[in-house]
Amino acid sequence: MQRIVNRVLLGLAGLALMVTGGSVLAMGLGGSWPTWWIHDDKKDVLLSNAERTHYRDAGWWWPTVLAVLAVLVLLSLWWLAAVLRRRRLTEVLVDTGDGEGALLRGRAMESAVAGEAARLEGVARAQVTLTGRRTAPEARVQLLLQPHASPGDAVVRLTAEALTNARDSAGLKSLPTEVDLRAVKHRAERVS
Amino acid sequence: MSEPQGSDGSNSTQRLPVLEKTSDTAADTTGQGQPSSAAYDPLPILGAGEDRNGRFWSARRVPATVLALLLLVGAGAFLYDITAVRADRPAMSWRKSLARQLAERPLDDTWVLVGAGVAVALGAWLLILAATPGLRGVLPMRRTHVDVRAGLHRAAAAMVLRDRAVEVSGVQSVQVRMTRTRADIRAVSHFRELDDVRADLDDVLADAVRGLGLSRPPALSVRVGRPGPKKG
Repeated sequence: MQRIVNRVLLGLAGLALMVTGGSVLAMGLGGSWPTWWIHDDKKDVLLSNAERTHYRDAGWWWPTVLAVLAVLVLLSLWWLAAVLRRRRLTEVLVDTGDGEGALLRGRAMESAVAGEAARLEGVARAQVTLTGRRTAPEARVQLLLQPHASPGDAVVRLTAEALTNARDSAGLKSLPTEVDLRAVKHRAERVS
Repeated sequence: MSEPQGSDGSNSTQRLPVLEKTSDTAADTTGQGQPSSAAYDPLPILGAGEDRNGRFWSARRVPATVLALLLLVGAGAFLYDITAVRADRPAMSWRKSLARQLAERPLDDTWVLVGAGVAVALGAWLLILAATPGLRGVLPMRRTHVDVRAGLHRAAAAMVLRDRAVEVSGVQSVQVRMTRTRADIRAVSHFRELDDVRADLDDVLADAVRGLGLSRPPALSVRVGRPGPKKG
């Protein structure tokens, strides 16, 4: 969701910059442009006083300008907050089957899964972050592989043990997970 | 995307339809003869932020933060100053000089052209950021479970290949260059016949690439040489 919003807004900003910059560039270098466009020829200015003050005396002008600016400020504030906020799940709803349910602290589940993952063969360190909603949590796992560990096997083991246990013990139907594997930096050496 | 063209064609995901029961990338696991139950899970549906190649799509957090900040500062400054002017205070000098510059400089003024060029370049860059997946350093791994998507960092993949290559007898040192589609391995061998070392390396590395579990295994290119007088 955030990914899509970010990309759409970045794309719109890029498009606006390219259209204005491109039209000015094309006209300034002597190209021709349709007559309805804001600039006429290369001796025209970017924004003349007459254009700038054209609507100044109309009653709706200043309220509209202020409203647009205010909306822009609020939207950018919201966007900034959404980007900067690290969404982290504080609790997971465990369906106990008797219609009541229990709350599991997100941090507790994170550290449990991370601890189990770190004990897997070939894993040096593991970090788990829960995101999503509390009825449908998602996990992000970062694994640091030991030297000479096989990445494919590490993921298979992680899936079969740590993630399956987490999913089952929290009573979840599914636990969509993104795994990110890095390796401990080490020198080349023979193990024989 | 260029087709991988390495010595090990069996690693290519785009296989020609041969007489095999599998038609997917799972053929890589099954080809090894390992009865892996995970390979028979229902086929994964495309998850959020994933394209057909299973690549990870960056959230573009940093550019979004920068753009949001710039928008906030710009719109906030205008809002403040216009409100101030409406309340019968004098406009700030930056807005006066901006209005004057905009009204005085013709379009073929050098600085206007430079500014327009910068705007076009910046706009193109933002569009590229918006449309490309990014995260080029993360190689998507083969799905072993419907819910689990894994990515291996390129440096880690290169290190695994290096570790395996160094174990071949006769190999003194190895350099691995890893790109998204190919792995270039340069080995320096100080004893044994070069052809033998190369054959061993081919086997070992083909196995190592399978062990990486990538959804698009890189094409291998192996070069073996003798230690030169300069490079040790």
